[in-house]
Amino acid sequence: MNQNTDLLTLRSVSKSYGTVPVLHDIDLSIKDGEFLTVLGPSGSGKTTVLRLIGGLEPLTSGEIRLDGQDISRMPINRRPFNTVFQDYALFPHLTVSGNVGYGLSVRHVQRKEIARRVAEALELVQLGRFADRFPAQLSGGQRQRVALARALICQPRLILLDEPLAALDLELRRQMQVFLKSIQREIRTTFLFVTHDQEEAIGMADRICVMEAGHIRQLGTPHDLYYRPNCEFVARFFGENNLVAGKLGPVQGELRSIETALGRLICSISDQPHLKAAAEGASAYAAFRPEALHLADAKDTDNRFSGTISDLAFAGSSTVATIAAGPDNAAQRLRLRVPSRVDGSALRSGEAVSLSFAPHEGHLVLA
Amino acid sequence: MSEAGSTLPAEKRLSLLVTVLAFALPVVFVLVPLAIFLGYSFFSVDQGTIVYGFSLGNYVRFFTDPVFLPVFWNTIVLCVSVAIVCILLAYPAAYFLTTLKGRWRYALLMLLLVPLLMSYVIKIYAIRSILGLNGFLNKALVALGILQEPSTLFVFNMNAILLTLTLLLIPFAILPIFLSLERIPQVLLRASDDLGASGLQTFLRITLPLSLPGVASAASFVFVLAIGDFLTPQMVGGISGFTFGRILYSQFGTAYNWPFGAALSVALAVVVIAAILIGERFGRNPGTSA
Repeated sequence: MNQNTDLLTLRSVSKSYGTVPVLHDIDLSIKDGEFLTVLGPSGSGKTTVLRLIGGLEPLTSGEIRLDGQDISRMPINRRPFNTVFQDYALFPHLTVSGNVGYGLSVRHVQRKEIARRVAEALELVQLGRFADRFPAQLSGGQRQRVALARALICQPRLILLDEPLAALDLELRRQMQVFLKSIQREIRTTFLFVTHDQEEAIGMADRICVMEAGHIRQLGTPHDLYYRPNCEFVARFFGENNLVAGKLGPVQGELRSIETALGRLICSISDQPHLKAAAEGASAYAAFRPEALHLADAKDTDNRFSGTISDLAFAGSSTVATIAAGPDNAAQRLRLRVPSRVDGSALRSGEAVSLSFAPHEGHLVLA
Repeated sequence: MSEAGSTLPAEKRLSLLVTVLAFALPVVFVLVPLAIFLGYSFFSVDQGTIVYGFSLGNYVRFFTDPVFLPVFWNTIVLCVSVAIVCILLAYPAAYFLTTLKGRWRYALLMLLLVPLLMSYVIKIYAIRSILGLNGFLNKALVALGILQEPSTLFVFNMNAILLTLTLLLIPFAILPIFLSLERIPQVLLRASDDLGASGLQTFLRITLPLSLPGVASAASFVFVLAIGDFLTPQMVGGISGFTFGRILYSQFGTAYNWPFGAALSVALAVVVIAAILIGERFGRNPGTSA
């Protein structure tokens, strides 16, 4: 597998239901062997992308290419992709082995061969003991793994997963995330995973494609999206963030200043040529993560401002302070995250504090 | 739900009443009459009056007299045939209905069920006039050149009963099959497609097995209704179309031998209960029962 060759390409794909457009001119390339997550709030069109690729629905316009071949009109049962459906869609009248072997038996693979590969697939998802059970006799997590085994036994080029973890409870969901990722590494098949849960996305994906309102907002590694969001939506949607509105100032090498209600802030613009190119005075946001913000000490000269702690929330490993900052300590609400300590954090509600963040930990987002 | 202790006494009494009624009504109106019938079947008749003494004579007569068992058996065969023909006709119709969208689906379903609202006797008369020697069916077949002259193949015989019962009972077959087809989640069919199955494979491996419970209940409905019917054979069966229901009817109506009629009813009830049990057994999907 070569991670740099494109397995599947979507070219200006649009989809409308009647007169209601749900996807606008989507361009997307999926690399061979990668774990790509499509992340977006409900109604963003992420599931539609998956359904179009899987062949569950026809495109309105555009094309889908597999290895350079247009497969837009290829019927669903010919596409070398398999789907793990949101509610698993296991066949209730077939046993676990019957379900897992289904894709092989409809292709008239020999019985012996089916039995061997079913056993292998069940071993992979650790369900060997449950081969003769019916889906109704399994727990949610087990059904999930049957659905996965059923999809991967056909050795598809691409496995499509439609929010497969949504129905599981938190602990099981975490286990399944690790499990899915390890299986994906083991069988080296391309996964396209659709979810609305950004934590899930960060935890598993090689790359994440953020969607909103039928458009792709950003495509990149979790690190990229977290530290270099290219728009306000991604900056707000992807993890907790502090956004402070302002006007762009001059470029200083890899840094650029922005005039805000908190004064002049200096943020990194490395690897973001569009920010270097943006005109001075353009509207933008300074964005910095709650964990990048800290109580200022004497060394901090840049990005220094004052505020008042209006609320403290203990969140287990960390404590989050809500801070009213800016002129009259009211213009801007910020979040500060500090590691929790058993004897209470050093912060007190109502206390006036001086805060700062390092320029390379801040970034800019055009408004 | 609140705790049991906090329930008001009045509510408690009401729920007790409901529970008692729920059990009492079937007992009084179903089980007790059946038990009375069972009791009667052990009595005998002497010169037109019922002798209230235990005797197995009725059952001995049923099993040894050369008249009853063959008719009983032929009737079962007839009703099984009716059930099979009904299923074969109803399944495609029900399947077609499920392929329709929204409003059309239910409009057509209603149309198929409308005959149930009409009088049974009127329907039989109507069908009789279609089946007759100069009936619509014969005339149509002759007009189309399929027959040279009107055929007696379906005039006052078993075939006539088969056709009539099928026509009368087909709505009872369509409905359960339609419901079981409609209950199959569409995503299962998409999953089958997704796994590479052709349309035919998806039908044979997913749709058909998952609709079998509906087929089983349709078959047992039709069978039970057909075997209990004496009016249809009476009216379209003529002399050769002699069914068990007609014998039963004559024991009560003309022979005035209630104990023997009761014994025959018990034999019929055994078959009906067996049919219902078989229907119930196959009416369950494997996997849905733990």
